Order: sequence, then C-alpha cells, then structure tokens
Amino acid sequence: MYKYLLCWKYLRGRYIALASVVSVMLGVATLIVVNAVMAGFATKMRSRLHGFLSDIVVMSYDRNGFANADEVTARIRQIAGDDVEAMAGTMETYAILRFYVGGSEVTKEVKLIGVKPEERAKTGDFAEFLFDENDRPAPASFEVSEELRKKTSPAAGVLGENMDDDILNQALRKQALDDVPPRGAILGYAMATARDPEKHRDEYLAPRGTKVMLVFARASKRPEPATDEFTVVSFFKSGMSEYDSSIVFVPLERLQFMLGIGDGEGRGAVNQIHIKLKPGSKADLNVLARKIQRGLERLRPLYFKVATWEEMQGPLLAAVSIEQDILNMLLFFIIAVAGFGILAIFSMIVVEKTRDIGVLKALGASTTGVGGIFLGYGLALGIVGAGTGLAGGLLFVKYINKIEDALSALTGQRVFNPDIYYFSEIPTRVEPLTVAWVFCGALLIAVLASVWPAIRAARLRPVEALRYE
Amino acid sequence: MNNSHISRIDALETKSSTPRGKRSMTAHLSARGLAKSYRKGKTEVPVLKGVDLAVDRGELVAVMGASGSGKSTLLHVLGLLDSPDRGAVDLDGGRIDDLGDRKRDALRNQTFGFIFQFYHLLPELSALDNVLMPLLIRHGPIGYMAARRTYRRRAEALLDRVGLAGRRTHKPAELSGGEMQRAAVARALVGEPEIVLADEPTGNLDAANGRAILELLRDLNRERELTMMLVTHDSQIASRADRVVRLVEGRIEEFSAAPEGSDFAASRL
Repeated sequence: MYKYLLCWKYLRGRYIALASVVSVMLGVATLIVVNAVMAGFATKMRSRLHGFLSDIVVMSYDRNGFANADEVTARIRQIAGDDVEAMAGTMETYAILRFYVGGSEVTKEVKLIGVKPEERAKTGDFAEFLFDENDRPAPASFEVSEELRKKTSPAAGVLGENMDDDILNQALRKQALDDVPPRGAILGYAMATARDPEKHRDEYLAPRGTKVMLVFARASKRPEPATDEFTVVSFFKSGMSEYDSSIVFVPLERLQFMLGIGDGEGRGAVNQIHIKLKPGSKADLNVLARKIQRGLERLRPLYFKVATWEEMQGPLLAAVSIEQDILNMLLFFIIAVAGFGILAIFSMIVVEKTRDIGVLKALGASTTGVGGIFLGYGLALGIVGAGTGLAGGLLFVKYINKIEDALSALTGQRVFNPDIYYFSEIPTRVEPLTVAWVFCGALLIAVLASVWPAIRAARLRPVEALRYE
Repeated sequence: MNNSHISRIDALETKSSTPRGKRSMTAHLSARGLAKSYRKGKTEVPVLKGVDLAVDRGELVAVMGASGSGKSTLLHVLGLLDSPDRGAVDLDGGRIDDLGDRKRDALRNQTFGFIFQFYHLLPELSALDNVLMPLLIRHGPIGYMAARRTYRRRAEALLDRVGLAGRRTHKPAELSGGEMQRAAVARALVGEPEIVLADEPTGNLDAANGRAILELLRDLNRERELTMMLVTHDSQIASRADRVVRLVEGRIEEFSAAPEGSDFAASRL
C-alpha cells in the first residue's frame, strides 16, 4: 500500500519531476499533431488522386490508341461487369499551348486530354474540379455560351439578335467566330494563372473566353504538326499541382478529328479507358486489374496495360508513406530524449531519497517494493506526460486552423498558405491506432527510463542508506 | 519461524553469557560472537570483534561506548538492517540473521521497531501517515483498506499517547525536533513490535526534550512489556536503564546493573 501512497505523494509534491515529463508531453503532442496533419494531407492527396484517376485505367502502349474502343469496353464489361459502374474513353497526347496576354505570347507544354465530359464525370471527380474565375463551380461541358461569346468578342456583341444575312452580319459573324472559336477547352488552373507576389493572389492570364492555340502531332506514321483553336470555358483545379499545371481538356471528338483518328461521328480511337467500380463493390482492385489484363491479352496481346489508380501514382504514394515513417522515427527520438531526462532526474531523486529508502527498508519494505515505488512513479509520470501530451495534441489538431489564423495575425505572415496547397484549411486526420501507439510508446519509454534508478534504489542496503546524512 | 530453530536453544544456553546469572529462560534477543568490519578504501576496519550479548524479554538495556566503538553497528546487526561477518543473532533462541530477505523484511516490520537519532520521518507525509507507514508496508492495498479504520485509530491513539494529539496532519518540517522524535516513537510502536531498537534517540535533542523522550520510552517499556535496546553515550540517560553494557573496541567490556539509587532500576528489582 505504501507504494501507491508514496507514488501519489511524490507525484503531487515534486514539481521538478513533473518538469521532466514536459518533454514527454511535448514529444507525444508533436507526434500526434504531425501524424494527424500528415495523414490528413495523405488522405486528401489520395482522395484527389483517386478522384481524378477513377479506379482502374486501361491504357494502350500505342499513343495513337485503339479504334475498337467499343469492343474493349464490351470485353471489360464481360470480365468485370458486375463491378463496373461506368467507363470513359479518353485520348491523351502532348501538345504546345499558346495564347496572348496583352501583346506577348505565352507558350506552355501541356498534356492534352480529349474527353466526353458527361462520360468522364461519371468515372471520377471531374466535374467537381471545374471552376470559373470566381471559384464558382462550372458545368462539365465544352459549350461556349452565347453570353461568353458576347462578353469576349466585340463583333458578337454588335451582332446581337439581328439575323439578317447581309454582308455586314456575315463579316461580323466571321469576326466573332475568329475571336471566339466555338469549341471549348478546360485549362489547368495553374496554367491559366500567374501569382502576384505582392498581393499574394493569383491573377488570370487566360480568363474565360481567351482564345488558345494548341499544336500537336497528328497520328500518322510520320507525325506532322496540327494546330487547332479553342476558347477557354472553365478551369480545372484539382489541388494536385502536377495536374493543374499541365492538363488541358478538349472535346474528344474534335481531338480525334484533328489527330486524324476519328470518323467524325463519335467513333474514334482512344488510348485510355477509365473504369469506375460500383460504390458497394467488394472486388479487390489489384485482382480485378489483373483479371482485366488477362482478358484483354486475349483480345490483343502485348497491347494493353491495366493499372489501378494506386499503381499509376505508386511512387508518389510510396514516397508519402516513407516520409511519414521516417518522420515518425525521428520524432520518436524526442520521446527517447525525454526518457533520458527522466533517467537523469530519477537518478537524482534516488540519491536525494536515499535516506528515506533506508527508513522504508528499516521499517520492513522489501527490495521489490522499493523498486516498485520508482517504477510506479515512472509509470505515473509517463501517464501524466503522455496523457497531457495526448490531450494537448488532440486539442491542437482540433483547433489547428484557428491556431494558424492566430499565428498568422500575430506574425503578419500566413503560416499555412492555402494558395500553395490549394487547401482552404490544414487537413487533419486522427488515426486512433497511431495515437494509441504513440501513447503506449511514451509510457514504455517512461517506465524503461525509471528501471535503472529503481534497481539502484532497490539495491540500496538500509544501513548504507541510513548512514547517508 | 522461531520453532524451527528450537534445536539450537541448547547450544545458545551454553554459549551465551548471562551476566546476572539468574536467568533460566531463553533470552529474548541475543548475539553470539558477532563480528563485523567495514571497508574504508583498501583497509578493512573491524568494528565488532566478537560480541556476545543477551537481552531478556521486557528488559531495557543501554549500550554505551565511545564514538566509533560499534554501538550503532551492533544495533543494526541485531535489528537485521545489516548482516554480521561472523556470529549469529537469535530471537527467542532461533537464529534470524541468516534468514531469507522476505523473512528478514517481515521481522523488521513486525518484530522490531526502530528509532533513529535523526528521527528519519518521511518529509512528504503527515505525522499520522508517517506513524502508519509500518502498517502500510505490512499490508497490500486491499488488506490495508479493509482495516484502515482500526489502524488509523491505533495510530491516532499512539500520537495522543506521545503527546502529539494536535499535530496529526503536520508535516515533519512543521514539527520541532522533540515532536519529530515523538512521532518516530509512535511509528516504532504502531506495528506492535516486541523489541524496540533506539539509536541515540535523544542525541539530537536538548536536555529537556531528551529527558521527556527517555521518560516516554521508559514508560512504554513498562506499559507494553517491550524489550528495548538503547544506544547512547550519555551516562545520565544510561542510568535509567535496567542494565548498561559498554562496547570497547568492538567487544562488550563490562556489564553493570543500573547504578544504585536509580528509581527505575529499583522498581524493576
């Protein structure tokens, strides 16, 4: 019984020992916050990647794609029909984007993706990532609205309702068509904007209505350049800078036509098919992907490559996971350092308590009992440190955005710049298992650190301890 | 545990010296040829060089001697705080110095009560909790909680008895030297021991307080039939004992009955 009484009294009366657990507390809090934020980022990133990529993607090694897309989708349905929710064929190629800002030309290399917007929206988060200049959601469509045309082209504005087919109107119509091509394009947000370093704001270089020219290689034995003009109708803002700075969406039929791989009636080649599985599907993505791969091999050997969304972004996801592991390992050293702090302070307390230990032994306390006092004390300090760290860490995570606001207001500089990450706030995700691990790890270290002082205390011979005046 | 050592009683009877020559019963606590030395650096300093001593039940023995004569060491060895290099300690005729740690711990807790020169109260605990410490050590949480009212009453009664009725909740730092020693006396008695070993209990107190503590010990010795050994180098104090033994150079040199005219001694004889 005396062990508990003394642990309790030491815990309440000795603030120096409580100070030693501040490092445990900080270590635990840091680990919890860092893990929560990293898990938040990773989860958000995964959901964005996943959202954009659908579940399984069938690609052709041939850039010019396959014209028998119907046959391929039919085969896929045959293989995995029960699990497939929707499929969308897309054509991906590389292109050079050109447009004018003021008098000067802007040129960028881009990934050009021809899609059917309604189809593509069913296979993943496509429509969700489309915005206009004011960050309002934009429809998943390439249609150039009359309103936009009138706003952008003076000729179209003059043209108005007057449909007389006289010379003037013909000229105006031609001019309007020239100003605002009738085909829409969706530009990656980072491509269409430039950062104003002073205002910390993105300024639009290519607002909606801007005419952009795309130069790409025609699909033929000896590729030759083709050009086409589009009107910017909306912006693609997924939050993944890799996508937002390189992707341009254009209507699939038009791209097929320009590449020379379409028949102009909606049937043309695609080089990717995105497959989205039914929401309740329990199929293992990897198993299903391999099954589709085998099925398509029979259709056309060594032509198709089937990958899950995770495989397509494998290196990135692996890098994030490794980063988190390494960070955890490094941060755990903080708690290990705290352990040595406890060891040092406990050793001092044992020296200071030598006489008391002698008294306890003289009164009949056993060796294990005296050792138990200090082990229990270590455990109690560990619980206090890890407990307050846990509570502090979780509170910090909960109010992390408010804290960030306060810090920003205090320093006059944004700590977490939402423009860089495209997150309106810091994403967090508390994983109970991680929290439990951190807590138990900290307890273990606190107990381990008190083992040596406890053994030393227990081994003190009462006479030697009592002689210690 | 003493029964197992009964066979040794005969050996003890022949070996142990009985100075007054009138005891026929086994001594309560006795030492046979105790030797103990300490290491100081590389040299070995012998402290006890073969001490033979027997203390009867209910006897109050004062151990006197110059500083460094081994008084405290003798007390520590007798009270199982230390082990002898040679020789044996017997309790009721059964050897106890070679027992295992658990049994020695139990004997210290239940049979012996210790009083130290520097009181040695635990600074974090109140006077009452300090007094309760031997009982806290004796029992686990369940056993203690079951009997805590009885124990508390017993400890409070002891504090009342030593004159600390109003000081129960005070920490040692808030008590005077005399009060701390009174609390220490109460602590030594709370476990209802048979033998009280006091190492210069008045050595750190002024004359008045020292006398008061001594009176208290003497009274308790009589009230409770306690066997007491009292180490002191104050002959004034020793004069109140039933018997005085003197340690000179690690041996018991002389035995003397309490001086003539000692009222305590007279009352015993």
